[in-house]
This record gives sequence, structure tokens and C-alpha cells, in this order.
Amino acid sequence: MGRQGLENILFFTVTLALVTLLIASFTPSFANAQTTEELIAKKVSRLNAKASMSKGIIELDSLAFDDVLAKPRNYSMVVLFTAISPEFQCVPCKNFDPEYRLVAAGWSRIPDKSQIFFGILDFKAGQSVFQKFNMNSAPSLLYFPASDFSESFDRYDFGKSGFQAESLANWINVRSGLKIEVKRPFDFLAFSLKIMGAAGSLGLAHFLYSRGGKVIRSKYLWASVSLFLIFIFISGHMWNQIRHPPYSMPSRDGRPGFIAPGFQNQFGLETQIIAITYAVLCGGVISLMSSIPRIESPSKQRLAVMVWMSVTSIMYSVLMFFFRAKNPSYPFRLLF
Amino acid sequence: MEKLESLETESSMLMAKRPYLRKEIQLLEQFAAIMSSESSSTVARVLKPTILILIAVVAISSRLFSIIRFESVIHEFDPWFNYRTTQHLVKNGFYDFWNWFDEKSWYPLGRVVGGTVYPGIMVTSALIHNVLHFFNFPVDIRNVCVFLAPMFSGLTAFSAYLLTKELKDSSAGLLAAAFLGVAPGYISRSVAGSYDNEGIAIFLLVFTFYLWIKAVKTGSAFFGLLTALFYFYMVSAWGGYVFITNLVPLHAFTLLLMGRFSNRLYVSYSTFYAVGTLLSMQIPFVGFQPTRTSEHMAALGVFGLLQLYAFAELVRGYIPPKQFKALLKGGIAAVVIIASVGLTILSFSGVIAPFTGRFYSLYDTGYAKIHIPIIASVSEHQPTAWTSFFFDLQMLIFLFPAGVYLCFKELKDEHVFIILYSVFASYFAGVMVRLMLTLTPVVCVSAAIAYSTLLDTYLETSEHVLASTKPAIAVTPATPAVIEAPTAATSETKVAGKKAAAKAAAAAAASAAAAAKSTEADAKAHAKATADGEKKRFPIFNLDSRMLVILQLTWFLFMFAWHCTYVTSGSYSSPSIVLASRQQDGSQMIIDDFREAYYWLRKNTKEDAKVMSWWDYGYQMAGMANVTTLVDNNTWNNTHIATVGKAMSTSEEVSYKVLRQHDVDYVLILFGGVIGYSGDDINKFLWMIRIAEGVYPSDVKETNFFTPRGEYKVDHDATKTMRDSLMYKMSYYRFAELYGGGNAVDHVRNARMPSEGPTLSVLEEAYTTENWLVRIYKVKDLDNLGRDLKDSTAFDKGRVRKVSSLKKK
Repeated sequence: MGRQGLENILFFTVTLALVTLLIASFTPSFANAQTTEELIAKKVSRLNAKASMSKGIIELDSLAFDDVLAKPRNYSMVVLFTAISPEFQCVPCKNFDPEYRLVAAGWSRIPDKSQIFFGILDFKAGQSVFQKFNMNSAPSLLYFPASDFSESFDRYDFGKSGFQAESLANWINVRSGLKIEVKRPFDFLAFSLKIMGAAGSLGLAHFLYSRGGKVIRSKYLWASVSLFLIFIFISGHMWNQIRHPPYSMPSRDGRPGFIAPGFQNQFGLETQIIAITYAVLCGGVISLMSSIPRIESPSKQRLAVMVWMSVTSIMYSVLMFFFRAKNPSYPFRLLF
Repeated sequence: MEKLESLETESSMLMAKRPYLRKEIQLLEQFAAIMSSESSSTVARVLKPTILILIAVVAISSRLFSIIRFESVIHEFDPWFNYRTTQHLVKNGFYDFWNWFDEKSWYPLGRVVGGTVYPGIMVTSALIHNVLHFFNFPVDIRNVCVFLAPMFSGLTAFSAYLLTKELKDSSAGLLAAAFLGVAPGYISRSVAGSYDNEGIAIFLLVFTFYLWIKAVKTGSAFFGLLTALFYFYMVSAWGGYVFITNLVPLHAFTLLLMGRFSNRLYVSYSTFYAVGTLLSMQIPFVGFQPTRTSEHMAALGVFGLLQLYAFAELVRGYIPPKQFKALLKGGIAAVVIIASVGLTILSFSGVIAPFTGRFYSLYDTGYAKIHIPIIASVSEHQPTAWTSFFFDLQMLIFLFPAGVYLCFKELKDEHVFIILYSVFASYFAGVMVRLMLTLTPVVCVSAAIAYSTLLDTYLETSEHVLASTKPAIAVTPATPAVIEAPTAATSETKVAGKKAAAKAAAAAAASAAAAAKSTEADAKAHAKATADGEKKRFPIFNLDSRMLVILQLTWFLFMFAWHCTYVTSGSYSSPSIVLASRQQDGSQMIIDDFREAYYWLRKNTKEDAKVMSWWDYGYQMAGMANVTTLVDNNTWNNTHIATVGKAMSTSEEVSYKVLRQHDVDYVLILFGGVIGYSGDDINKFLWMIRIAEGVYPSDVKETNFFTPRGEYKVDHDATKTMRDSLMYKMSYYRFAELYGGGNAVDHVRNARMPSEGPTLSVLEEAYTTENWLVRIYKVKDLDNLGRDLKDSTAFDKGRVRKVSSLKKK
């Protein structure tokens, strides 16, 4: 304990001596230090001006990026790495852009906005930065906390937090302690469309009802609606709604491109094909039950039975074929 | 060893036999269909019960794979809690069970068991146990628990028969019973040993629906009361009772919209709702929910609506139409205003609770993903891919919509119910894999209706064709028209019937069609009333078409039976606490590491030892090792789970504080790297991190566990945070030594591990099972000399304290 205390005192004295020496010999450096502060202040005012011009967003390129993030700085920085130009075909980039701007706009309504700035770096303008951060997907969003020296940053996880402006604001709040209020502009178009839609459907309902309600009361309408719903549900449509799989993929290793590898995975096109298969199979069963007994001529009836029965068997075989493609160890087959 | 082998051969023999048994039964069913249910011949009277009993036997025996292959043991996770509470109930009686405060779970909070469980399954097995013991059958409670679900599956099949009989006829009922008896979608939750709520709940679900349909059909308060009683049983058994609470009112409401309000509906629904709700509130876990939460509001609303409607009907009888119209308009406006104002006030003042999270995740599919990682992490709560539907239902999946179509053709009150059930259950099954269970019964019922209609069409002899044109039911030449006619037909059709009978008796199959034609004109009015303009039907003329269809259908049935056996045996019959794998020479290797570890804990730790593990193993530890656990499979306290997640995912220094704060003596983890068991803790680790981050964002950051390229790595590329985390260290501690220093390979993640493994200073290895599947670590006590545990470990190992650590101080 004693030794450590001694050490501390020694360390302290030496530092003090050094500092005095520095101050004594390089008095101009004081001025220098002040200029750094001034520099920061200047930069902040410049950024402020830029931000207020375009609703809180600062467009960056490689140079500006380095300049803005140069240390030391007394503000945090949120940078969206994106690829908005049409040749990149980055759909999520386009979807996220307005949400990001909402957050920035929300912040720019606050009088003192020099604590955090929102930048956008397009791939076209800042390829070198993309490389520096090892970015191989866009959009990516990084948060650089205000600090003098540390290199640390946080990456926003789109997969977990989603593309909503509110969740991004929340995410920033957790990290910076700054409260950003996201105000969605009132969408008059959507609102009026909704009103018109509601009025239209009401009118349609009234019209249908006034026609003796024949259409609404038609059980064929309800039957087809119910069967349609059942078909899309049992072919995994809800899975698509939740997981957002690609519609289809180019084929690889001989497997048809519309079948996703893996038992618990599927493509959009795949489920549609399955739904149609179910519908045809079910249609076959229904016609075997109710259409064929209505055919008067024996030979025609025989033909119809043959046709529908082969359709059913072939479609059932197709279904099993698809299932075997998903689950190769499945041992059963019908025709092929 | 020999005994084991003989068991093995026995089981394989049984496996080989079973498909044939099922085939026989299905052939019998077809025979029964040929016999036609409506004929009251003695043969049919004997056959039906025999078939039903055989179906029950098949249903039970196809659920016994796991028993034959392994032993009579409770499976998986949740069943262990149910088993433990059942033991408590049997040992200490009902009142003690009801007031049981279990200090061994959710440490240090403890759990009020009586108020936080659905006691149905425990009470059921305790009752069975006590009845058996009363008659001096000394059956162990464990065996009652193990065989409960298979036994109830027999009853489920029987209730499917009853339900389908109400919808079509008893031959369709037999088919439905057979389908539901073997459908993998239901077997998945009811194999022997899977002692879970669903095991009895599906029986209760189907039977309650049967009683409800019976009540609506007859309009008897007696059946309404029975519905309520079984609803109460269901409420006591499974949280899925909410499905009934919403489907039955929906049915009543739809009937109301269709203009089918009747006194039958009024009586049955009012009885069901009043008695059922009062009864359901007796379960402490449910309590006042039926009057408060939104899930139950539909039932209440429909109850109110029915009363108003009935009242309006009553008033209509006493008041002139014009005044009634004015009164009705005023009344509707008043009710709407009062109801909406009242609902708003109640929900804003907090009397009515908002939707609960699990419920919400059913409707807003993105909700759980963002807001509740705990819900999203449970594999049962994942959406269903199309393969799962086919896997669980095979042929039934395309017969099911055909059956729904037939229901639309009939469209009596009970068919409306099946249609609603089909559409909603399909939706819910699509959103959540687990709810496949509620879809399976309606699929079986509906597919059975379709299949049996097909059989009727292609097997019936000519007279039945006539019977199928509705008004001509009386025209069967075999039975005199006079006997059957008076109940249904008017005198006009009687004449027509006699005419037709005379003709048909003389004619052969072909001329039967002509007879049908001649009755057509008279029958038209009735046809319109009954079957919405049913067109005339002919028999299937050619024998070869009949044969083709029937043979093909039979072949489909065979394939269905094979498929069910294949799925049951291969996918749904592993107890998951005992694993089996094939060795290279084809012999079976039993991996019994879980029980090994739990018994080690039971025998080698002090009685009140607190063991921390991820929540999945909480119930098993409590049940088998009899130790105190921090979190288990039913912990709702998100913070508590996140705390455990934090302890697992932070560095030793941080997590030691958490461990000390919670008095943890041991930490238990699963590690599958040695034998390639993919469900281990490193693979679940991301969820721990995610859940921990939700509560402690400053201590745990998910991104730090990913390499700069966004990969989740455990080998050389693993991030520093990953390598410092307690879970990583515990998993790979001394792992490299197993391979003699070099080329250590993690078989789950196919990763080549560094030859220098992690070091541990705040924990010490206590026990590692035979295949390294379970590893138990003891938490070290504070150092006697007040040193940092890291330093003391280094000192014990004889390493010199590094200068750097000295400098920091």
C-alpha cells in the first residue's frame, strides 16, 4: 500500500513537471488548442447550417465523411450507408430512406441540434468508406458516439429492430440519451384514398344488399372465399408473410429454382405452386363426388372418371415429388 | 443386454405388424361404409362398436413407439413439471396442491403453483391413479402419466366419430375417428410419455364442439349445460380454451347474421355462456379474465346481442309493426352508443386489460419479432411452412377443402360451424406451428366427410342413388315406402314414392335412373327447399369406373397409413431426454447424458443447491435432479430470464457478480460439439444474448458477438466478446484436451477450434457426462485471502502474477 502511494506521488509530480515544462516552452500551443476548439465549433456551425438546409440530413462523400468524423469532436454522428441509385436495385435502401429522413427531421425540430447529426453516404459517393468499414450490404447504419479518441461505433440491426423510424429513434435514444420525436407527416393522399375506399365499399355493400342481397347471400361466393383462404393458409402463405422469403431463386445443382432448399424454408413461387396443386387435387375430388354422377351418358361418364382420376393421381404424385425434393429421406411415392 | 436385444426385435416386429393392422381396419371401415350406416342391420350394429374399439387400439398402440424403444419415461421439458406437480398432488392431496408455494423454482422469487397452472391434467391423472388404487391396482403414478395421452387419444377418436355423425352419417364418423386416431398432427403431441396439457385438451376440444353442435341442433338446455361442463374441464386443462371461447360465439353470431336465429340457438348459447363462464372463473389462473380481457369479449358481446335480439323478437309479437320499427331503430342506436362509450371508458380506465402478448402475436405477425424475443425464441411459436402441413396431414390436406365444400352444399347450422372452424384454424395453424393441433381435428372430420361421400358415390348400389336425391328417400324398393314416408314426406310424395317403388322393383339398375326421372317433377319443390336446387343424379354406370376410383382411393388410404406410421415412428416418438443414434456398424447407441447429469446433481449436491441453466432445462432439473432453479420453461419474468442470459453472455468478472447475487452454486450447460447434438446452448446462445440485451443493453451487445463480416463464429475467428463470454468458456473448457492438443473439431458447427482452450477462474468443472452433452460447473467461493479469483487461480497454477496487473493497481 505504502509503495503504491509513493509511486502515485512520484507519477503525479513527474506529470506536473512535464506539463509545466510544456506550458512554459510552448505557449503558442495554447493558442493551437484553442483553435482546435474553435475548429470544432466552426465545424459544428457548418454542419448545423447544412443540416438545417435539408431537414437535418447531411449528404456525405468520402472526404466529407472523414472530415465530419475526424477527432476530436463533441457531437455524435449517425451515418446511413446506402445505395439509392436505381442501378443497384436496393429495395430496402429505398424503403428505409424516408424513415431515416423522418428521424433526422424529428431531430432538426429541436432548437439545439448540435449534439447529433445525421449523415447519408451513398455508395456512389463514398466507395472507399464502404471498403474501409468492410461493408458488403446496404443499407447499413452506424452510430458514432461523441468522443475524443475512441474508434468505437454501433451497428443498427435491421433484422432485429426493423425498418421503422420509431424503432431507430428508440435505438439512438438508448445509445445517446437523446430523445427524438418522430412525427409522421399526415398523408392526405392515403387518408383520402382510405375514405374513398370505405365509402366505395359501403356503397358496394348497399348496392349488393339492395339487389335483394343475392350476391352477399350467395353461398357460392362464400364457399369460394373460404376455400381460397384455406388454400393459401395451408400452403404456407402466413410463413411468407412473416419471413418474407424471396419469390424464387436461380436454380442450382439441378434442383428446380422455385423449390427452396431445406425442410423449414420456402420461396414465394413455391407456395403458390403448392396452393395450385392443392386446388387442382381438391377440384378433382369435388368433381368425382358431384359432377360425375350428373353425367347422363355412360361412356362420357367413364371418360370423365378416367380423366379426373388420372389428374388426381398425377397431381398427388407431383405433390409427393415436391415433398421428396424438400425431404429427400421421405420414402413414399405414387407414380414418380 | 440380451433382454434389450429381444425388446429391440419385438419392437421391430411390432413396427412391421402395425401397418397391416391398420390396413385391416381401414378395409373394415370401407366394409362398414358399404353396409351403409343408415341400415339398421345387426351386422352394422355389431361392426360399428368393434371398429371403434379397434380404432382406439390402433390409436393407442401407434403412440407406444417410444416406450418400446426406450422405456416408460416422461418426455421433453414441460411434461416434467406436470409430472412433478402430479406427484405432489398424489402425495399431499388436493388442498395442499392448491396452496403449494414452490420455493424451488424461479429462485429467489418462488412460484405459487396452484395459481399459475392449468390443473386439469394433474387432477385427471391423480383421479385415475386413486380410482385404480381404490380397486387395488397398484399402478405407479408415473405410468398413469406416461399412458394418459394415448388413452385419451382413443377417446378423441370416439368424439370425432360422434361429431362427424352429427354432420353426415356414422360411416363418415368411423372414417373421421380412424383419421384422427393416426393423424401425425395430433400424434405429435400425444405419444406415450408426452405428459402435456394438449394430450387431454384435444379430446376436450373435440368433445365440447360435439356437445355444442348437439345443443344447437336440439336446443336443449341439457346439452348446453354439458357443453359448459366440458368447457370448464377444457379451461382447467389448456390455455387453448380461448379457441372455444371465440369460435362458439362466432358461430352463434354468424347464424344470427344469416338470419338463422332460433330459440334453439338462444337456449343453447345462453346456457353455455352463463354456466361456462362462471365455471371457468373458478380456475385461479383464469380468475376474472373472462370479464376483463379482450380475448373473452366476443363471447360476452354475442351473449348480450342474443339477449337483445330475443327481446326484440318478443316485443315484436306485442306491438304493431310500424311502432316496432321506430322502437327498433331507437333501441339499436341507444345500444350502440352506450356500448361504445362504455367500452372506451372501461379500456381507458384499465378495467379491461389490453391484448396479451401471445395473443397479439397471433394477429400482428410482426409484433412478436420486435417486441418479445422470448416469444419469438420458442420454436413452437414459429410460422408453419407448407411442408409441415403435408408432413402432419398428408392426404387429408387436399380432402379437407373438399369436405368444406360439401359443408357449404348442406349448410345446416352445424355445417356453418365446421366451415368457420376450418377457416380460422387454418389461419392460426399457419401462424403458429403449435396450433396445427387445433387444425387437425377439423381436417380429419372434413376429410372424412369428403372421403365417405366419394365412397357413397362409387360404392352405392342403384337404390342408394335414388336415396341420394333427397325427397326420394322413401323410394328404396327394399323397404315399403309407407313406413318411412310419413315422417318426412307429404302425401303427394307418398304417391310418387309408391309409383317409383313399383317401377323400381321391376327395373334393374339402368331403369332406376328413369324412375328417378319420373319422380323428379314431384320432388322438385322439396329439392329446392332442402338442397338448393339439387340437379338430378345418376349412378356410376360402369363397373370399371367404380373399380378404378375405389381401388385408387384405397391405395391412397394405404399410403396414408404408411405415412402416419413412418412419421410417428421417425419423428414424433423420441423422448428427447434419451437420445438414440446409429453407430457405424448399424447398432443402436443410447445417449443418456441428461439423466446421468441430473442424477449426479441429485446425489452429489446439497439439498438446497441452486443451479443456474438456460430456461429450457429448468423443469427437467427440478423434476429429476430435485434442485432449485432460477428460471424454467414457464418463467414469465422477462428480467429474470434476461439476468440469466446476462450471466451467460458476459465476461467472467461481470457474470461472477450476477452469480453471487443469486446464490448460484452450480451452472449447467449443454454442449453438443463432441457428438454433434445441434440443440445445445451455443446454438441457443444468440437468443440468450438477444433477451439479455433487451434488459441490459449496456452490458450485452449482440453485434459484438458477430465477426466484422457478420458471421457467428466459435473458432479462430470468434470475436473477443464471444471468447470472453462465460457460455463460450464453459462450453469449450478443456475441449481441445479431448483431441490431444490438436485438431479439435466442433461437430455441430463444423469448426476447427484453437488448440489453446479458454481458461476459467470463477468456476471449476464439477462434472461432465459421458458424451460431454451436459457440463456442470461449480461456482467458486470468494477467495480466502481476498484476492481476485483470476489472480488466485493463476497463483494456484503456479504462474507469476503479471506485471501489468500490478501496474493497474
